[in-house]
Amino acid sequence: MKTKQNFKILSAISIVLFLAISAYFFKAMTENTRMETNLDEYMPKDHPDFKYSDQAEEWFQIKDGIIIAIEHQESIYNPESLRKIKELSKALQDMDAFDDNEVKSLYTSDNIVGSAEGMEVESFYKRVPKTDEELTLLRHKVRDNEMVQGRLVSESETIALIIAGINDGAFSEDLYNEILTLAESYQSDQERIYVAGRPIVEGTLGLLGPEDMKRMVPLVIAVILLVLYWMLRSIRATAATLLTVFLSTVWAFGLMAATGIPIYSVSTMIPVMLIAIGVAYGIYFFNHLKQFLMANPEADLLAGLSYTLRKLWKPLTMAAFTTIIGFISLLSSEVYPIKYFGIFTAFGIAVSYLLALLFLPAITILWGYRIKNRPNRKVASSPSSQNVQALTEGILRRKKLIYVLTGAIILFSIWGIQKVWINSSFLDKFEKDSDIVQTDAFINQHFGGTSTLNLVLESETNDAFKQPEVLELIDKLQSEAVAIPEVGSSFGLTDYLKRMNKVMNSEMEAYYTIPESVEMVAQYLLLYEMSGDPENLTKVVNYDYNRTNFTFQLKGDDSKTIHAALAIVESYRPAFEAHGVALNFAGSGYKALVFTDLILEGQLLSIAISLGLVFLLLSIMFRSIKAGLIGSLPIILTAIISFGVMGLLNIPLSTTTALLSSIAIGIGVDYAIHFLQNYRNYLDESSNASEALQRTMQTTGNAIWNNALVVIAGFLVLLFSVFPPNRMLGALVSMNMFTSFLGTLSLMMVVIHASRLFQKNKSK
Amino acid sequence: MKTSLLTIVGSIIIFLFSPGNLQAQLSGEAIMVKVYELPTGDNTQGELIMTLTNKQGEERVRKLTQYLLNEGDTEKKIMFFTAPADVKGTSFMNWSYSSGKDDDQWIYLPALKRTKRISSSGKGDYFMGSDFTYDDLGDRHPTSDTHQLVREEGLNGVDCYVVESTPKDPDYMYSRTLTWVDKSRFIGLKRAFYDEDGDLLKILTIKSIDEINGILTILETEMEQVQKNHRTNMKFSNVKVNQGISANKFTERSMTLGQ
Repeated sequence: MKTKQNFKILSAISIVLFLAISAYFFKAMTENTRMETNLDEYMPKDHPDFKYSDQAEEWFQIKDGIIIAIEHQESIYNPESLRKIKELSKALQDMDAFDDNEVKSLYTSDNIVGSAEGMEVESFYKRVPKTDEELTLLRHKVRDNEMVQGRLVSESETIALIIAGINDGAFSEDLYNEILTLAESYQSDQERIYVAGRPIVEGTLGLLGPEDMKRMVPLVIAVILLVLYWMLRSIRATAATLLTVFLSTVWAFGLMAATGIPIYSVSTMIPVMLIAIGVAYGIYFFNHLKQFLMANPEADLLAGLSYTLRKLWKPLTMAAFTTIIGFISLLSSEVYPIKYFGIFTAFGIAVSYLLALLFLPAITILWGYRIKNRPNRKVASSPSSQNVQALTEGILRRKKLIYVLTGAIILFSIWGIQKVWINSSFLDKFEKDSDIVQTDAFINQHFGGTSTLNLVLESETNDAFKQPEVLELIDKLQSEAVAIPEVGSSFGLTDYLKRMNKVMNSEMEAYYTIPESVEMVAQYLLLYEMSGDPENLTKVVNYDYNRTNFTFQLKGDDSKTIHAALAIVESYRPAFEAHGVALNFAGSGYKALVFTDLILEGQLLSIAISLGLVFLLLSIMFRSIKAGLIGSLPIILTAIISFGVMGLLNIPLSTTTALLSSIAIGIGVDYAIHFLQNYRNYLDESSNASEALQRTMQTTGNAIWNNALVVIAGFLVLLFSVFPPNRMLGALVSMNMFTSFLGTLSLMMVVIHASRLFQKNKSK
Repeated sequence: MKTSLLTIVGSIIIFLFSPGNLQAQLSGEAIMVKVYELPTGDNTQGELIMTLTNKQGEERVRKLTQYLLNEGDTEKKIMFFTAPADVKGTSFMNWSYSSGKDDDQWIYLPALKRTKRISSSGKGDYFMGSDFTYDDLGDRHPTSDTHQLVREEGLNGVDCYVVESTPKDPDYMYSRTLTWVDKSRFIGLKRAFYDEDGDLLKILTIKSIDEINGILTILETEMEQVQKNHRTNMKFSNVKVNQGISANKFTERSMTLGQ
């Protein structure tokens, strides 16, 4: 009795301790948590591609544009629509997020026009044209200017754009709402207003994802709670298990807050990992406890706990250690959010592990634990022992079938893996029929494109971009690029020069060409500086004329489209190099592409590293390379199937989907270790391989089944999410859990049996 | 009637309590009128080196020969580019009218062998890609603004009046300017320009002044665009004042001659 009392005090102390630390982390979380929504912050600053792009963005004020489109049923050349263009332009200019000269519209644009006696740079309109003559005149002015027609006004003349380049880091939820409200207030019966552009897509994504998660997470937890209760048959055990998951998440995010590291979008995957793994720990714990208490109805709780801990600490330690190593391998990534994801998930798992070994026993002592089922009654959740026995025998009898099936699935998956493609698109994360995708398609249909790619050309020689032969080459590249369907239009220094050449030669189409001499180029540019807004030129060329920026409007922000444009440009690289001109790319679309590649490279590398480490650790732990190989099977299988299915279902690899393969390691290792450890124990006890397998299937198999079921049930809820990436998340987590479970209980078991693992020739 | 009475009473109150009403002290307006009336040469010529420096520290240097002729109601200016080489021979002519009508501008491009008229839609346009607008370069008539003497202070050892000028036209490109006026010579030495939002936009500094042929002449001036971290420096040399320039210099034909 005395010891019992002592244990109670000890438990109370440890719980208080855990709660105190949790409270500290919770406080840190509430005080310091910061979401990082600026995507630039995700990118490795010292990577040459990003460094270059950031530099170029500063040189040429390359900014992401928010696009407001005004569509009028008949024609935008009416006083009302023109007034709206003017007012919207001015409203955007008044916002701090946009510099005045970053707002481009028919109202703000310069019109370079020729007259019999010279050239003029003027506004298209200042006062809103009212009379038919004025309107017709404006319409002709726009039609004659290839720098505006098709760029700011559609060929159909029914849509006009206002494009506002947003300042770095100026995007916020408030601004987003302000712009949407502003745009909406200009809607009318005749006019529709659309809002698009990368900041809007990123913003909507940044808002929609977490918002949807806020709705879905309680549902996921509720389902996990129900299924867990159905299995454990104890409110206290269910609550204790969920509490460990909750606390480990609080610790992980609390530490993040305490160390001043913001939450990145991939960080939202940390709770997913901790749920999958924490629930498993709870289930192993209570399964062992229950089995002992059922087998020894006379024994008291302390004896049960001590048995459970004795049985559990070793596989749990091995599993936790291996999983932690697996996640720490993510440190090999060049991308900080991924590194942090690895570290904090590893930390969370370490906490889960501690909680399973210390907190769960403590809280069980305090709360008490009763099994509702009589020992002789069947446990509803777990398959009856006869069924398990029959199943195990059935599986073992059909070894060949399992091998063939696994082989077929692997082959099929490998075929699928070859179809896997990487996608850095933000738009593709939305439903095809969502407003944002439709708006984007609408603008793409009528204009150059909503996505941009910047090409920066550089030369060592000053005035290189005044040389007609270099400019001709660029012009050729531009026309070849816009000829492919992925590229809508292009814009740069050449467009100014061609326009001016034409204007200075009585608007003759034949002169819409690159001027013939360096002097002519230089003098046109001087002329433009003297009569136009020289700020415009600084966006396309530097003072020394040895660095120039070309913007390509693309029809999509997906990797395939960007690669198509890049390919054309790349084909010109040798020709440019012959002129001593180097090619580089810049802009957010390009950075996203490089970034995604970087993440995936890192992710594939870290999967390889962690596989190697897991194999090594398993081999050491079980002192057998054979065990190492066999234990790695479920992970390999899960990873291969995971990528295979993505390829087959045309799910592109993205940061989220790639990280999901980490689950394969986290869960796969857990299953394999528990199974192998228990199997070895039983084998030591009975030395009959089949019987040991049977017993392992009854206990560990059951726990694995329970764990898989709980997590799958929980994450399947996400299939009802309105946000496609969250649906994908639900489906892939569930699938990974399922393949891990199936791989362990079928293939791995069969291989264990066939390879006579751990059998020291005793069975003979 | 009531309003006007109120205005009068109000004016008296303001007059009585305003700090700057001491007889001995010049009003802001009087100072600016004196600055405006400072004699300038009727004709001036010289070499000009214009250096633009951008945020990245890159420089764009242009050398020009400049001629100026003041015909009373018309101010004529002609400039010939001497460097860089690819624009050598390019000339630019500007006629500005005291009547307030838009300037007439011509440019001669030797590569095109043609003189073209260009048009600037207003005085707010920037002069040759510099940080100076045409208006910054010209003399703004003191009646366009209301002036107030805000303080007196030393500027690099020179005693100055600091006058705040607020444009009467609310749509003017600056919301206000502050001018540091040399107390003894009545010449502006520094001017701060504030944008529509009331934020500091540009600072003009006179770096060198000399008396040439009895006329106070600015030899070096620099405009700094504070918000964009951009700078324009103009340096004059070989300046000749009131040595006589023929009106024939300011014709389209003379533009093509390249000097």
